Amino acid sequence: MNTKLRVSEISKIYPSCVANDEISLEFGSGKIYALLGENGAGKSTLVKILSGVVRPDKGEVFLNDKSIKLNSPLDAKKNNIGMVFQHFNLFETLSVFENLSIDSDKRNEDLRLSVNNILKKYNFKIDLDIPVLNLSAGQKQKVEIIRCLIRNPKVLIMDEPTSVLTEQETEDLFVSLKQFSDEGILIIYITHKLKEVLSICDEVAVMRKGKIVSVSKTKEEKIETLANKMVGENLSTIKKKINNFKYKDEILKISNLNFSSDDPYETNLINLNFSLKKGECLGIAGISGNGQSELFQILSGEIITDYTSIKFRDKEISKLNPRERREYLMAFSPEDRISQAAVPELKIYENVALNNFKSSNFFEKGLVNEKKIKEHSKKILSNFSVNTDNVEMKSQFLSGGNLQKLIIGRELITSPELLVCFNPTWGLDVGAINYIHETLININEQGKSSILISTDNDELLKLSDRICVIYKGKLSKIMDVNEVTPEKLGILMGGGSID
Amino acid sequence: MIKIEKRNDVSPSIYFLTPILAIFLTLFGGGIIFFVLGFNPLEALKFFFITPISDLYGFSELLVKATPLCLIAIGLSFCFKSNNWNIGAEGQLIFGGIVGGGVALLFYGHDGFYVLPIIILAGAIGGMIFAMIPAVLKTYFNTNEILVSLMLVYVAKLLLDYLVVGPWSNPEGFNFPETRQFSESARMPTLFDGLRIHAGIFITLITVFLSWLILYKTYLGFQIKVSGLSLKTAKYAGYKGKTMIIIVFMISGACAGLAGVGEITGPIGQLHRNISPDYGFTAIIVAFLGRLNPVGIIFASLIVALTYLGAETAQIFLQVPKYTGQVFQGMILFFLLGSDYLLFFKIKFLGLKKNEL
Repeated sequence: MNTKLRVSEISKIYPSCVANDEISLEFGSGKIYALLGENGAGKSTLVKILSGVVRPDKGEVFLNDKSIKLNSPLDAKKNNIGMVFQHFNLFETLSVFENLSIDSDKRNEDLRLSVNNILKKYNFKIDLDIPVLNLSAGQKQKVEIIRCLIRNPKVLIMDEPTSVLTEQETEDLFVSLKQFSDEGILIIYITHKLKEVLSICDEVAVMRKGKIVSVSKTKEEKIETLANKMVGENLSTIKKKINNFKYKDEILKISNLNFSSDDPYETNLINLNFSLKKGECLGIAGISGNGQSELFQILSGEIITDYTSIKFRDKEISKLNPRERREYLMAFSPEDRISQAAVPELKIYENVALNNFKSSNFFEKGLVNEKKIKEHSKKILSNFSVNTDNVEMKSQFLSGGNLQKLIIGRELITSPELLVCFNPTWGLDVGAINYIHETLININEQGKSSILISTDNDELLKLSDRICVIYKGKLSKIMDVNEVTPEKLGILMGGGSID
Repeated sequence: MIKIEKRNDVSPSIYFLTPILAIFLTLFGGGIIFFVLGFNPLEALKFFFITPISDLYGFSELLVKATPLCLIAIGLSFCFKSNNWNIGAEGQLIFGGIVGGGVALLFYGHDGFYVLPIIILAGAIGGMIFAMIPAVLKTYFNTNEILVSLMLVYVAKLLLDYLVVGPWSNPEGFNFPETRQFSESARMPTLFDGLRIHAGIFITLITVFLSWLILYKTYLGFQIKVSGLSLKTAKYAGYKGKTMIIIVFMISGACAGLAGVGEITGPIGQLHRNISPDYGFTAIIVAFLGRLNPVGIIFASLIVALTYLGAETAQIFLQVPKYTGQVFQGMILFFLLGSDYLLFFKIKFLGLKKNEL
């Protein structure tokens, strides 16, 4: 079965940007194609066009040289194009089988038969009769894949499939994808992770700012060459100096920290203990949803658990709220930069005023001192190379990278002794990531400490001095970064144990 | 072909133009209703919106009605801006009236400049305390402030009913459900002879100015703004959420209480069953029509006050029920919410699209 998929001069223009600009590509079965690009490069738009979710303003899609109209996801299904989205579309409380039967027109017995065949063929181990909420992310993704496979797809599109997977699950996925490809299914693999492209894909198309900038065989590419094509500039590779720990003082001590929540969607934290030295970066790895968000909020003071577990510079701070903790020179950069760390509808200088530390005098005698806030904001914009100097601009018009620079700048301009950050480079482009990484390395070199909660292992290995893994609310033992490998992290993140 | 597109940003002009659009749509809708009822729409609208304020007396009446509406709406804007849904201003108004009225009865027969200020203060405190009930229940017991504040309206109404029928009823009043007329010292001074407009309007104007100052120039105002836009951010910034909820309810309740005491010491001069023609509820419309902005609320209160007057005139000249006023108030809110759609979306009219290629 030979499948040929061709997109011809596809354009999609949104009011704020040209998402796809005259895109033409050809795919043939038996190969795995990577669509590589930064966030906002236009990959998702192209994929949504192929799966019928978005209609292009211009251009056509050909399947086996026949022009096809994709006006809705249903049309994509009819043309045997299957799609696995980054965010799963499953009903958590329904069983696996019920989820599969929802959009199937087969009789239940027939469906069960074909699902069982698929399970056997690809060696998937999933209990069809348990609710989806009991599945791991990897298993949920398999359910989505099975949903596509039932329809004998000619084309299978995977959108950022590994973002929620452990290393082991990722390897399993790659094995399955190879198998599908050998059977003649055309696979389009969307990602911004360069390593994955090199390890699994045959050909790679790089997108930048809505355009295709190169199409090549992966054999001819290296990480550096692909990265340069993606960002369009030569990346400076920065590496952290090995920390020689010239400072010995302990700055933060967490002892017997427990948290149990009434909310079933939150994770309980169980008996956490760790400490942090001056000038050190402690990395906390883990797959999202294992208690990172709760830990961050407890460190920042948004959640108060008890009155004894957090000591900062020898002072008990457990019952202080975030503003009071800032007085003790702590700073926080939350994961959700758009709706928590900043308010999009507020102007830049108003967002800066959110960090109202005592010496700022932003609010003298309860009155707003706009002049002072604006001066301070200008300083942040220039010191942290945010690409605007207009403090009156609403922060919703800043790109993700510039917004994050503003937030990190706001937190760091007070020279805090400790910065707690949670996925600081999530969704940013390589240029901004590098900037943030450099900044985080710099503060350690200046003798300031940081806690880096992140789901990006490369980032953790690059920035941390010591690393531990959080899994189901428990911390693994803390390891020196030199003894840590991505494989070890993967095992711990999946709940396994090492040595 | 018509195409609907999401706006990237709300332009300030649209933000203040949509309420005006809503008012025009209301006039248009009202015209249709009058037409269906068999009246000449333009004539009827003239009776409704122009006749009532065509003389000085009518204009004074407009201000008399706008005074409490504006005051309550200003107070509500503190709550609404910070995501606290105080629906019970009517109850806070009545309770403020009860406390203020009680003090006025206590001073019955007393003379002295100090009487009125004490009564006014008592009314404000009464409204404030009554508003703190939903606030405290919300912060400490996680109750829904919409339900609690709304249900407390009926508590206040029934309490007033009981008082004017029972213990506080006028001993010489032939069992009418009303208290004595307050002494002259307990009455809000009128500004002009023969007109009902009273000094309460200054309380309102001062409150509007102070509110503007608090909302736009103080740390408290900034915190209210941030909390209204994102509670998550407010928490992250370390604002004391609970204290703030209680403060905005206190401000809101005090304003409603002031409005109540202004009514009973002003135009009414005693306590009876109906001290407010639902000012507390109508003020919600005023607050939103004025975009929760102090200046906007002044204009909105005048427009909504006009629907009260118009309804009375229309009742006299057109023999339609005075509830037509509420129809107009409802239409304003309806069209306002409807035209808010334009804030976030724009409608493009395109020519017929030719197939490309």
